[in-house]
Amino acid sequence: MSLPSATNAGELRNLAVRIRQGDASAETELVHEFSHRVFVMGVVRTHDREAARELVQDVLMAVIGALRKGQLQDADKLAAFVHGTARNLINNQLRSASQRPPMEPLPEDLAQACRAEQLEDAERMRLVHQAMEGFGQEDRKILLMTLVEGHKPGEIAAALGLTSEVVRTRKTRAVKKVADLIRKKMSRT
Amino acid sequence: MPHSYQAMNCEEVEERNILEGYLLDRLTEPEREEFEKHYFECGTCFSQLQTGLALQTELRRQPAMPARARGASLLRAWVWAPTFATIIILFSAGIWWNSAHNRPPSQQVSSPPKVSPNVPVQVQSTPAAPSLEELARVEPPPYSGVVLRGTEDEAHETFHTAMRFYEKGDYTKAIPGVRAAAKANPQSASFNFYLGACYLLAGQTDPAIVSFRQTVSLGDPAYSESAHFYLAKAYLQKKEVARAKDELQKTVQFRGSLESGAAEILRQLPK
Repeated sequence: MSLPSATNAGELRNLAVRIRQGDASAETELVHEFSHRVFVMGVVRTHDREAARELVQDVLMAVIGALRKGQLQDADKLAAFVHGTARNLINNQLRSASQRPPMEPLPEDLAQACRAEQLEDAERMRLVHQAMEGFGQEDRKILLMTLVEGHKPGEIAAALGLTSEVVRTRKTRAVKKVADLIRKKMSRT
Repeated sequence: MPHSYQAMNCEEVEERNILEGYLLDRLTEPEREEFEKHYFECGTCFSQLQTGLALQTELRRQPAMPARARGASLLRAWVWAPTFATIIILFSAGIWWNSAHNRPPSQQVSSPPKVSPNVPVQVQSTPAAPSLEELARVEPPPYSGVVLRGTEDEAHETFHTAMRFYEKGDYTKAIPGVRAAAKANPQSASFNFYLGACYLLAGQTDPAIVSFRQTVSLGDPAYSESAHFYLAKAYLQKKEVARAKDELQKTVQFRGSLESGAAEILRQLPK
């Protein structure tokens, strides 16, 4: 398992070029590089994890198809191209969810790469659950009021009888604990 | 004021709380677009976003815990209360019976104990509560002098050079350099915090209080809890117990690494 890569611009450009040249391993690399990002974008925009999973396949298939045909003019803009494709497909889906034509499924090897990313997502959720079991009620409440209810530290502080700085500190510390656990457990590739 | 959406960077994401806004669907369309473009290329921000999204999902899944948990613990307490009460009554009765039957007749009424002049009297007393001076004693806050190559500005260089004295326990010598760094960069919570620590450890309580107060006002989550704790220590050194208690109570609220230490001092302070 791996953390989100910070592939540099040169590597992304090569990826686009290699896919155009028919390099199958470059397609798998592209799936690894972008499937998480498209998934997160899909969840945030549709509020539906299942729909987001399907979108990942559709977006990656559309991107790979376009790259194979050499439709990306500027190979330096691969990340922006994937993002733009994802945005368009998500918007289309939101506009006409029921009339969406069935997309061509990903080839089995790429679908397998996608499934690996899904397993990683499930592992991340398990670790978050584990980390949160160690939190006290008040810290959970602070996280809930921040990340779900969208309250500001001052509002949370007033509700819980704390100061804003205490709320900010405890929120930062709790998120860091979760992030550290994920980094520790999931960086063992 | 309209914001320029040219290219978002990591600092902007943090300063404008973009990540939470994105997760809560509170960004404008151009902001959302720019943040997405940013995290499609930035591993660090994407990693934080993934953690935030996973936390949000988990929090949404969880039932409303607080009321239930409180109810459950109360229920447990009521179930066990009669048992605890019985144990306490039996234990107290046992002690009373034992002392009443083993006491010599002469001591069954309240009278001064007979003392043999040749036998030293062993006075049994509870351990003495620590004095204010003992409670005010300060351990130097830990400092890690790790410096990333190529990231130093002049103020940081001055700070790290001065902090070498701190690491050797020479707090008075560390003060001028740390003070210069804090003056050059007054918004740095770490400079202000360690300046307060240097003053406090060098016995200069009043300037220590000023520096810790400045640290608190900066609201940096990394230093707020410690600043309140050492402020309490400074007030204890000045024998200002009420203010020290106030700062200790604030420290406890952070539920961090200094919570138990602060709570213990609070317990030992005179009511």
